[in-house]
Amino acid sequence: MMDFGTPVLEPGSANGTKQVPQFNPYQDNGGTVASIAGDDYVIVAADTRFTLGYSIPTRKISRVLKINDKVMLGTAGMQADTCALHKVISTRMRMYEHDNNKRMTFNAVSQMLSTVLYYKRFFPYYTFNIVAGLDDKGEGWVCGYDAIGSFEQRKIVCNGAGTKLMQPVFDNQVDWAQSWDGAGKPNLSLEQATDLMKDAFTSAAEREITVGDTLQIYKITKDGIQLEEFELKKD
Amino acid sequence: MFGGQDSKQHTVQPYVTGTSVIGLKCADGVVLGADTLVSYGSLAKNRKTSRLMTVSNHCSLGFSGEYSDFQEIKSTLEELMISEYCMADNIPMQPRAIHQYLARVMYEARNKQDPLYNQLVIGGVLPATGEGYLGLVDLLGTNYESEMIATGYGTYIALPLLRKAYRPDITVAEGRKVIEDCLRVLYYRDARSIDTVQISTVTKEGAETTEPFKLETSWDFKKFKAGSRLIDESTW
Amino acid sequence: MSGDGCVAIASDTRLGQQYQTIAMDVPRMFKMHDRLFLGLTGLYTDTQTLYNLFKFKLSMYKMREGREISPETFANLVSSTLYEKRFGPYFTEPIVVGLDKDNKPYLCGMDLLGALACEPDFVTLGTSTEMLLGACETFYRENMNEDQLFEVVSQTLMMATDRDCLSGWGGVVHIISKEGITTKTIKTRQD
Repeated sequence: MMDFGTPVLEPGSANGTKQVPQFNPYQDNGGTVASIAGDDYVIVAADTRFTLGYSIPTRKISRVLKINDKVMLGTAGMQADTCALHKVISTRMRMYEHDNNKRMTFNAVSQMLSTVLYYKRFFPYYTFNIVAGLDDKGEGWVCGYDAIGSFEQRKIVCNGAGTKLMQPVFDNQVDWAQSWDGAGKPNLSLEQATDLMKDAFTSAAEREITVGDTLQIYKITKDGIQLEEFELKKD
Repeated sequence: MFGGQDSKQHTVQPYVTGTSVIGLKCADGVVLGADTLVSYGSLAKNRKTSRLMTVSNHCSLGFSGEYSDFQEIKSTLEELMISEYCMADNIPMQPRAIHQYLARVMYEARNKQDPLYNQLVIGGVLPATGEGYLGLVDLLGTNYESEMIATGYGTYIALPLLRKAYRPDITVAEGRKVIEDCLRVLYYRDARSIDTVQISTVTKEGAETTEPFKLETSWDFKKFKAGSRLIDESTW
Repeated sequence: MSGDGCVAIASDTRLGQQYQTIAMDVPRMFKMHDRLFLGLTGLYTDTQTLYNLFKFKLSMYKMREGREISPETFANLVSSTLYEKRFGPYFTEPIVVGLDKDNKPYLCGMDLLGALACEPDFVTLGTSTEMLLGACETFYRENMNEDQLFEVVSQTLMMATDRDCLSGWGGVVHIISKEGITTKTIKTRQD
């Protein structure tokens, strides 16, 4: 439904009798993206539910952009801004490849996204991003961003609506954060990380209305990128 | 309308509006449907406006929202089609290209805080294969592609019906019936609609929009006649 | 969280005024009788007041009825007490946890106005409620025994409070079973 935004009192209306609606350029279309990085792999997962208030206009929206064979960008938040941001990033990537005759590395992409987001510091992209990829040595890393480009390079990141539900689970199972001495910290394999991701999203889909439908899991390894689709609850 | 202290005028709310547009992607094309009313608040202002537009031989467009903004979009698209024609390269513009072009136009307007207050449904076929393409663009630049699309009240009323009727092998002829049924339900329940509708079908053979025709409606339903508040019954 | 013939309630022990930590050892869960606990999150003055109020009401109940109150009845008592203040509420959100006479777990959470939400598996409330929900949803299994229940409850509490700057500074877990109550204190991140 159309959103007229909050009414703004027209200047000069002393006791606020006249109200003028204002256009709200933002909208939250839901969605969650998450990523786990290992020694030689990264998995990026995103749900495909597109929500508008309490409605679901479509159940199959893609939130992940393939930047190149080693790096992917996942975005949750407003779909219009996501689309625009992805186009800007793709274009900048192609320009880089033309200018430098080499593929963009993970570190280059993560820095570029930060500056692209900060360019719009005073009218931000309503997007919550993660950049996931293999660095030059083949080790997996992820960067999580806020809407204006502040980022941190880590091994596990969640962003979007289901973050609060999923991040503690990843802290516990991947980082072994609640262990007293860190003994027995697991080095998750690709399969274990994928299973953990599916569990986390399934739990998030139970309790968060904007998470559900299908989960797209992209697995980035030195052999390339594979996609696995996993069905989540559709209610 | 005035949106602030500055002298430039921005669109803040729509005035002359069209209600829902619905679309269904079929195995051999797409079907779009819309009624022919534009309303001025609660006034049924123009009852014979076409809310569907044939963009090219392989693409149709339906709008909901502000009529004047759609007229602007219509002339932009017509210019686009003219320059396509002048290119004379025998490569027809794909529906996806038109969809993305409109998405950029809408996003640009939104970035200037002066949106084109519409939700547009683009339906077309890939000229080579006849495979259908159905997409939506809205006033914020939100764009997506789906097998079934509805705007306005259609999202609440028609979309569930379209989802139920959809099969991957549904034909345009069957789709047309489904769209007509959905338009009928919308007429029953949307207070800003009328029973004169148009349906646009796009197949490999081309895009055609029917003349406006009146829907057959029945007001004999038990629940319509009996009214609400029967024990255990309701008109909801 | 419920288990097989047992139920656990856990909370952190921080008392804060927005970002300032005032105390690190405040009890937030109160034993109402041997098989019933009341947990109160939110404004601490209301927590203390309500605890005293319910202690009084239960004493009166025991005197009149000659028996301990059942968890379900107590939950309804809490709910109506909160609703009495509908237009000037207590700013607390309670959890009622107990074992009924057949040793079946009873769990129930409420909002500040007393809207009851009875759950068979787990209830979470407080500043890190979403984080707790996600963690509980992932790790909860049906029919856990006491040890497993303790493990899951303490891990989920730590996981969630570690991600919330307003919670933490230690945790307490009470496990109620037909044998009695076991209380364990957990050392969490002290920040």
